[in-house]
Amino acid sequence: MEKKQKSIHDILPHDLIHTIFLRVPAKHLVRLKCVSKLWYSLISDPHFAELHFQYSPAATKAFIFTINYTQAYWALFIDDNDASRIKKVYPPFKNKNLVCDFKVLGSCRGYVLLHGNLNFLVVWNPLTGSNKRLSYSHIGSRRKHKGVSLPKKFHLYGFGYDVSRDDYLVVIAWQDKDDHYHFDCFSLRTNSWINLDAALPKSSGLMEWQPHGLLLNGAIHWLPSSLKSYRDAILIFDLKERTFSMISAPEQPAMSECYYSSLALLGGCLALYYLNKYYLNNDSYCYNTHIWVMKEYKVHSSWTLYQIPCGNFQPLCLSSNGDIIGTASIFSRKVGCFIYNVRGDLLEHIKKLPCQFPFRETSTVYTESLLPLPTDIKDKDNRPSDSERCQTRKEN
Amino acid sequence: MGSPVKKIMLCSSEKEIFSVEEQVMVQHSVIINNMIEDGSYNHEESKIPLDCVDSKTLKKVIDYCTHHTHHHNDNQEDLEAWDAQFLNVDSNGLYDLLMAANYLEIRNLLDLIYGTIKNMIKGKKIDEIRRIFNIKDHGFTPEEEEQNRKEYPHFY
Repeated sequence: MEKKQKSIHDILPHDLIHTIFLRVPAKHLVRLKCVSKLWYSLISDPHFAELHFQYSPAATKAFIFTINYTQAYWALFIDDNDASRIKKVYPPFKNKNLVCDFKVLGSCRGYVLLHGNLNFLVVWNPLTGSNKRLSYSHIGSRRKHKGVSLPKKFHLYGFGYDVSRDDYLVVIAWQDKDDHYHFDCFSLRTNSWINLDAALPKSSGLMEWQPHGLLLNGAIHWLPSSLKSYRDAILIFDLKERTFSMISAPEQPAMSECYYSSLALLGGCLALYYLNKYYLNNDSYCYNTHIWVMKEYKVHSSWTLYQIPCGNFQPLCLSSNGDIIGTASIFSRKVGCFIYNVRGDLLEHIKKLPCQFPFRETSTVYTESLLPLPTDIKDKDNRPSDSERCQTRKEN
Repeated sequence: MGSPVKKIMLCSSEKEIFSVEEQVMVQHSVIINNMIEDGSYNHEESKIPLDCVDSKTLKKVIDYCTHHTHHHNDNQEDLEAWDAQFLNVDSNGLYDLLMAANYLEIRNLLDLIYGTIKNMIKGKKIDEIRRIFNIKDHGFTPEEEEQNRKEYPHFY
């Protein structure tokens, strides 16, 4: 019987194998590339990577974060079928000793933006290893606060993708020695910085916003440092139009005592969450986490509140059932990874983890993808150095 | 039984004729549903030719559709157990079913087969996957194969 079995290659047409692969999570596909040359070419095709990223029902997410005292990057892999797992991940820094300021600045289409060291950033796909290093030394030398590395205050930053130009962009707003604000944008397609000072809103002092930008709907979103004035609170930069705009935060935070507000992406919607202090009577109080979700983008009346009975809950994403998956750090009473339903009932608490989550350090959730960078596509077989990539960029 | 159950004829690649309740196939196969709806199937004389589906596979496909029509109210566990037993076939049988389900556009059967293949791949080493899918000629040059083994030793 065994000998009569035919190879999958001889029986199934390629488009059916293609369809099977669309159902397989990206993390398994990386391994399947080594099974046969045919599978390698099907999986390596950039169009397949794009289809898989856009439409695969098997999308898997991961939460990447750093723990300064261990000098390491960690990732929590969130998979509905698997128990969540934490693993150390190894970014493409050649000289590990050079890495003194570990930070995760954002994510976009399976890529994470890391802060390598003073004056350089790395865009990296943890699944495929595809990466690119970008220098921001031209900003570093002119900054007001020299020696302060990028992810600290005095700056705004964000990482995103402009569909119309098929380009990954890194944006940085910063202040020079003469207190002037500047806005620069790095295009990975052209491998160059573009100055967009003219786009900056005239009156604003950029220090009023938190530095970490969140990508959604082709735009980067920044939250103000204080939610006390909710009107025109969230700053938005549209990557296609290259213009700024603002939207209002929900009203209620202005009234209540809220701390450590942040933005998150939940089920494709913009979410704003913070630690909420509430009084049980005149003397005693408690903390929980408020999560406001803007169910319809830019529709103010669609802000909806969810309350999670856990003090320092950081929502990461929604499960396929619409439950909220998140973590709580060492500064809250409960520690670990949690799944709550939208009514705030605890469904699962994973306590046994190899490391503890840091307290609101820069961290990001990314969707695992096989996508190449625009500069990888032509050069994928000869793996060029960065300098060669710069030379080939004009062909695009 | 009240009024007679409406039947349709399916013809396998061996030209064997299968008579099936119309409702069973209409419910599961997008293609057959379309043929009935747009009137291209004539109950007096039509047979639906399925040239790429052999009798053995067609019989299984009909079994699947019939069971899921008449037992769709069963509890989930029983249905899953039935499905697992149904897909307990060798890999050639599985590919044949996949192609038939794809041709007839039977979505829940497709999902079931894709899920099964996904589980066959999950967590397996390269050599195991090659054995499962009977891939003898992987097409890599000895140099490429060695390079892969060196670069990703944990995959093998």
